[in-house]
Amino acid sequence: MAIDKGNGAPGGGAGASPASGGLYSDQHLRVSDAEREAVSGRLAEHFAAGRLDRAEFDDRVGRAMSAKTRADLRGLFAGLSETGAPAVPELPRGGGGTPGGGPRGPGSPIEFRLDAASGVPTYLQLVQQVEHALRLGYLKPGDQLPKVRDVVASLAINPNTVLKAYRELETKGLTAGRPGQGTFIQATLSQVALPELAGLRKSLLGWLTTAGAAGLDQDGIVALFTSALRDFHERRGDTGDRRGAASGETEGVA
Amino acid sequence: MNMNMNMNMNMNMNMNMNMNMNIIETSGLGKRYGSTWALRECSLAVPAGHVAALIGPNGAGKTTLLNLAVGLAAPTAGGVTVLGGWPAGSLAALDGIAFVAQDTPLYRNLSVADMLHLTRNLNRRFDQASAEARLAELGIPPKRKAGKLSGGQQAQLALTLALARRPRLLVLDEPMAMLDPIARHDFMATVLTAAADDGVSVVLSSHVLAELERVADYLIMMSRGRVQVAGEVDELLASHRVLTGPAGEADRYAERPVVHVRRGGAQAHLLVRASADDPVPPGWEAHPVGLEELALAYLREPGAAALPGPARGRTLPLETGQPSEVTQ
Repeated sequence: MAIDKGNGAPGGGAGASPASGGLYSDQHLRVSDAEREAVSGRLAEHFAAGRLDRAEFDDRVGRAMSAKTRADLRGLFAGLSETGAPAVPELPRGGGGTPGGGPRGPGSPIEFRLDAASGVPTYLQLVQQVEHALRLGYLKPGDQLPKVRDVVASLAINPNTVLKAYRELETKGLTAGRPGQGTFIQATLSQVALPELAGLRKSLLGWLTTAGAAGLDQDGIVALFTSALRDFHERRGDTGDRRGAASGETEGVA
Repeated sequence: MNMNMNMNMNMNMNMNMNMNMNIIETSGLGKRYGSTWALRECSLAVPAGHVAALIGPNGAGKTTLLNLAVGLAAPTAGGVTVLGGWPAGSLAALDGIAFVAQDTPLYRNLSVADMLHLTRNLNRRFDQASAEARLAELGIPPKRKAGKLSGGQQAQLALTLALARRPRLLVLDEPMAMLDPIARHDFMATVLTAAADDGVSVVLSSHVLAELERVADYLIMMSRGRVQVAGEVDELLASHRVLTGPAGEADRYAERPVVHVRRGGAQAHLLVRASADDPVPPGWEAHPVGLEELALAYLREPGAAALPGPARGRTLPLETGQPSEVTQ
């Protein structure tokens, strides 16, 4: 209790200030619950300021809470200065992704975002962002997707939504789960070799020129292409195909 | 359940084991205050492993239902069990449920550390280390008095105390009402992270419809003391569509399960119970519906109901005949 009152710095007697009383060593004095908690509190402040990583914090708090004498409390603030730069680099340990700050996406090259106004279901937005990142080369086979809890912490979305998105990606064969590690990219989305792609692109550009000359604007071209693509899939009998089913915004009947 | 556990997400094992039970189950539950029924004939089965949103206008009976479920009030009629069959208010139930009431009550003159100390001593189980770490992460100073914290910090403190009890069910009554957008986001991030890490089931009442779509995967809608809609969000969305077509033909569908009609001079929008596979009438367009639109439609039609299969004897989702119309 003595420390709680009067002494501005909580746990001051335990830290690097042996000179406060001065005449004789107080190191053999037993510590009270209040002192243990004060020390933990100060450690928590260091942890909050990023000067301690989680493991170190847990360890030091554990030592503080089991301390019997002042001597046991020595060294708990080793390497910690209130002013300096973080003594320990902040670890990207899913540690709750400092709400608001977003998670640090350990090991994943991508970060999800949500567009609430898009009208696209949340899980589908995640799926599409992974596919998009694959097409653009942000993601390659072997890359790790953000951990579920990190996505949950940064976007404040339902964990089942993330699981659903990851399950969908796995069903599509794009990712695979590794027990205890996470979800990893397994495939690429461009199955066609580059020369072929160039040829296809060229013929598509030719078609676009024709469509433009016929008076179709961009929306008209997209509508025509989408409708033709749907017919194509239906004729091939793979209506269950992901893209056909997934991106159906409006199944209009005119 | 639609949860595929070979996916190795950081899910705790106890999530698996709880998947098949009902976290809250009520049958014929009713509560009367004086001569007024705050809750009537409430039969619900909320499965575990969900974040369930409880919505409805003021006075619909949301808080009454939550109070009955956590054992703060005794039913006038019927019964309620929690955590897979324990009577609400029993020791096992109290031990496994954490409840944060509407105004996140705290002892305003106690410091944060004292609140932790107090809560630890009042509970059989209290994870002091995780509570301290969480508060440190949030930058909430242990020495500060609870009453001096910002609204967002007070809510986070109340939530931290609740989660440190390691509950299997977390019940939140209007948790976000007083919070600014960032505080709401952070608060829900904490709740949902607990759901992801520890498999905590969550039931929360809320007015903030727009945020529910990302947060909730189970929806309970109440009006006038009765449960109006209950079910998994995915299933509710898949079983509703908006039909847009000529206003003159809108009445043709009055006998079909129309929930809500919005009508202009020439065009009408009908929210109907129909899946993507159902045929669309000629001249009409079908659109998928979002959670907010769906919820608003039901809130405007207190007579309409959509209850899951087990609610026996309801083949038609409409309880009353004609939906009323809102002219645009």
